[in-house]
Amino acid sequence: MRLFAPTLTGLSFIMELHHFFTAQRVLIVAGKGGVGKSAVAGALASLSARSGLRTLLVHLDAPSTVIPAHELLEEITVSPGRALTDYLSSKGMGLLSRQLSRSGIVELVATTAPGLDDLLVLGRIKAFERELRADVIIVDGPAAGHALDLMRAPLQLKRAIGSGPISSQADEVLAMLSDAHRCKVMMVTTPAMTPVSETAEAADDIVESVHVNLTPIVVNKCEALVPAIDVTHLSADMREAYQYARDKQSAQEDALAVLTDSLELPQLHLSRHRLNGAELIEAISGELSTAIAGLS
Amino acid sequence: MTQLRAITEQSQVIVTCGTGGVGKTSVAAALGVVAAQQGRRVVVVTIDPARRLLDAIGLEDNTGNEIQQVPLDSVGELWVTMLDVRETFDSLVRNTSPTVERANEVMQNSFYRSLSKSLSGTRDYMAAERLYNLHNDPRFDLVIVDTPPSRNALDFLESPERLARFLKHPIVRFLVAPSRGGFRIANAAMQPVLKAISGIVGGDALTGAAAFLRAFDGMETEFSRRALAVAATLRSDATHFVIVTAPATDALTEADHFVSELSRLRISLRHVVANRMPPTFGVLTAAEEKEQARVTTSDLSTAHSIIAGLCEDAENAKTGIGAFLERTQVLFPQLNITYANEMPADIHDMESIAILASQLAVHPS
Repeated sequence: MRLFAPTLTGLSFIMELHHFFTAQRVLIVAGKGGVGKSAVAGALASLSARSGLRTLLVHLDAPSTVIPAHELLEEITVSPGRALTDYLSSKGMGLLSRQLSRSGIVELVATTAPGLDDLLVLGRIKAFERELRADVIIVDGPAAGHALDLMRAPLQLKRAIGSGPISSQADEVLAMLSDAHRCKVMMVTTPAMTPVSETAEAADDIVESVHVNLTPIVVNKCEALVPAIDVTHLSADMREAYQYARDKQSAQEDALAVLTDSLELPQLHLSRHRLNGAELIEAISGELSTAIAGLS
Repeated sequence: MTQLRAITEQSQVIVTCGTGGVGKTSVAAALGVVAAQQGRRVVVVTIDPARRLLDAIGLEDNTGNEIQQVPLDSVGELWVTMLDVRETFDSLVRNTSPTVERANEVMQNSFYRSLSKSLSGTRDYMAAERLYNLHNDPRFDLVIVDTPPSRNALDFLESPERLARFLKHPIVRFLVAPSRGGFRIANAAMQPVLKAISGIVGGDALTGAAAFLRAFDGMETEFSRRALAVAATLRSDATHFVIVTAPATDALTEADHFVSELSRLRISLRHVVANRMPPTFGVLTAAEEKEQARVTTSDLSTAHSIIAGLCEDAENAKTGIGAFLERTQVLFPQLNITYANEMPADIHDMESIAILASQLAVHPS
């Protein structure tokens, strides 16, 4: 019922956001390079913190965007390269881990159990979730191709390793990934054919193999609608530019049609901004809040 | 002749690197088209597990390591293939194993099966191995390698040395040594290390690994030799690296990363392809279009402001690429650049790859 509230403001607006962000504790944002995944993850974290939730933004790579600071927002980088030595240290094997890395044994262990690094990264995220480090944990995930490797790692390790601490770690991570109240994955794409088909493929794959739950899909960088105009009086340059804009738009419509056909998920459309850094995060946050409120 | 045409005409190996979304795979395919038009017999191998290249050229039914020819109206030949890690590893084992029985023993080992299925580390080794095979295949005189769209894309360059080092490691040598009552006889120095490893990965995995390494014993000499041969080829004059980038800020940041990686690996970079450059439209400028948007009304005003955006994209792109080129030329003074325009729709068929190829071939460097 929106009869008396055509626009969401104040309390009800905050409640819509809280509902979205607290529906799960961990939100993994995934998408192929160039779709603006990190900016979307940053904007989500910023929005969540500003709505009054303690938010932890986890980067799996050195962060490339600057998120406006907020007292409820904390950022942390979990690097795959260090995950194994961190794990050993946490098990009271710090000295051993240093010896091992000096002698190259860490490489041996990683080779013995491929995907171990990925599992340990997910293990760290699971630990943040279990110790209630924040109300909302947003993971700026790896690029789409590697997101598959990352999320399939626990499954593969379990098959390769029957027992032991790694195997139980894999079980715990898989339990988190497949529990909709604990973790969801947000796929980000742009309205172009290649990202759309890869995203749909990746989404099917992780749902089937790891049983993750997906949030609505974000379609980032949507171009504005090009109006139909009479081109007869325009200059040749102008006609060429106008035609280019129209062609781009029809390519965008084709891609969106394929996305709708191939993924049965609600879509959150964000427009393309010619901005950078904090200004970009700000603009995406604004659009996201409206789009999220419109979901219910 | 442009420098890029000289590269496609003379190299034996071309490695394209770049982040996702810059059209790296399309550029690799387009370079293949250019080379084939120059009369070369070229094979493009994509290590990227997303099957974009094969889709783009209508070979989506291709499986495993199958090499397929692309029908092309040219003097030379264009072939494409992708990397199947398992199949590459299997054929490596078959080729280097002294007997069929030994090969089967290795391939049935549980550790081997998990190793060859995993996508991360093994993929790098097998990429190098595949390159070795294609480079030595008499059917081809140019191999174009399309690296995965990740930050670690150049890891495979170091994988041969890493593998050779790994196989020589004392722990590995120990595991390979003939078994006399399992690991109990391990010497005092080895014992805690083995215990720690098996504590982390589980005893079964270690036993499986040891069995694999024993079965593998003797084959690793040939394995290492091939790995190091690839490493040598990649560092020789026969190989050219091409960074593919786009004018977007994040793409240029990643391109900077590849530049410093190449410099760290002491590999010389001679060429950059600036792909997906927003087109310019004659005399139109962002400022003038904005002004037109202000003085006109309704739909015409909207059209002007959309075109102002397109002009702004082109102007920003020029600035961004110019700055990138300037800082890269500090490290690589010989660097050349080729531009290719963004097309209204994604490249997803052979026709658009041919258009890209003609842009790469004729644009002055």
